[in-house]
Amino acid sequence: MANLQHIRRRIKSVKNIQKITNAMDMIARSRFNAAREALLSNVPYVAKTKEIMRRVMTQMRGREYEHPFVKTRADLIAEQQEGAGKFLFIVIASDKGLAGSFSSNVFKSAHDMIEYDGTDTGSSLDDDDDENFHKKNFDALKGIKPSGKRTPKQQRQMSATGSVAKATQKGGATSKTNVNVAREYNDADYVDGIELITVGRRATTHFKQRGYNIIKSYHGVSERPQYKYAKEIADIVIDRFDSGEIIDVTLIYTQFKSAISCVPDSVTLLPIVTDDYAKASATLKEEYIYEPDVVTILNDFLPRRIATRIYGAMLHSAASELSSRMNAMSNATDNAQELVGRLNLFYNKVRQAGITNEINEIVGGANALE
Amino acid sequence: MATILLEIATPDKGEIYKNDINMLITRSICGELGILPKHANLLTALLPNVMRIKENGGEVQIFVSGGFMEVTPEKITILADAAEKPDDIDVERAKSAFQRASERLAKKNDDIDIDRAEAALARAKARLLVKGVPIG
Repeated sequence: MANLQHIRRRIKSVKNIQKITNAMDMIARSRFNAAREALLSNVPYVAKTKEIMRRVMTQMRGREYEHPFVKTRADLIAEQQEGAGKFLFIVIASDKGLAGSFSSNVFKSAHDMIEYDGTDTGSSLDDDDDENFHKKNFDALKGIKPSGKRTPKQQRQMSATGSVAKATQKGGATSKTNVNVAREYNDADYVDGIELITVGRRATTHFKQRGYNIIKSYHGVSERPQYKYAKEIADIVIDRFDSGEIIDVTLIYTQFKSAISCVPDSVTLLPIVTDDYAKASATLKEEYIYEPDVVTILNDFLPRRIATRIYGAMLHSAASELSSRMNAMSNATDNAQELVGRLNLFYNKVRQAGITNEINEIVGGANALE
Repeated sequence: MATILLEIATPDKGEIYKNDINMLITRSICGELGILPKHANLLTALLPNVMRIKENGGEVQIFVSGGFMEVTPEKITILADAAEKPDDIDVERAKSAFQRASERLAKKNDDIDIDRAEAALARAKARLLVKGVPIG
């Protein structure tokens, strides 16, 4: 039989935990309000940049040679076949845990994206988004038969897809396990061709453990993003892209849709593929006047756009993190409340049983004396 | 009178201005520009300056600290790094920024970023200009 003191102690510890989770809930709530505010005031700017971008890129069709960031898909594929550039991924997660499945959702999405092998169809929410090129690029590349000499990168992809095909033949595994199998078989190949920039301590530890090459990580900024960090990341990315070390930059973050819905999302930052803006071309036919000229403007505008996107993603991620933490903590508080109720009931039962027992003993003793 | 929609957005304060206007006067990296309704498509970068906006017979001034301007026949979009209405400008801050920037430029050390200091100086100047503060 459980002893009373033991139960009392448990009730106390549950209550203490409840106090902590409740406090964390409240802290997250107030920070969340600030984060949402920051996000909401950033949204129009990002939306307008995107709009302009779309119009400008429509104009750039057929003139891709004018700027190094802008390419047609055909050019991109040709370049990827001869060059051996790396893929860069920027992963934005949180510094701290206790936010439910927030971080693990990001990581799951990041792994799907990094180890993408062409088998995963349409898990991403933004299939209608014109700016998610990574999969399209990959699919386009995959369709090409390897020429005589293969580049390391292509080898990486070929061997990855090859081993996945093998794995599928072995047993009808799902695409999720395919990804894992591919990773185990080709770890070195994979890791070699990939660089990561992580925001948030959790992201850094997660990917470091798995042996990825992290070129830069940012800690302590996940809850309150600042533009200067986004700018810094953008500068690194542009620098490496310019020098040809990397050929594809993808940003993975959590999109904040509402307080109860935060979805991992990924967008391609570089290169900008004009084929994907084909849709918009019908609406705008007139030429732009660029002052002073298109290269100067794009040299200013594109880095700005990239930094803006990274900053926007950081804000989304911050709001998502805090709202996830809010949900997780208020759930924990509710659960603790319920647990305390149950323990109290149990405590009273045990106490009552003890009293009944004692009375029985007294009555038994009295009877025996007669 | 014909009007054109003007929208000014900044990264941290959202959309700070949205209105149908008659004319916008601003300064791009190529010089002073006046934009009237039905202007041709244009994309340019802005310098720190005080924009003059003519609307409903009156005139409004807004300070922008640089950014981009896109013009289509129906709409002007300004993506400003920062933008303030004259009432919101912090004169003391602008003054000290002006001081700092001019000191930095005067020293001409190698370890300072001249471009940045010059940009900061231009911003401070434009801010002080709106408020009519004499620049020493």
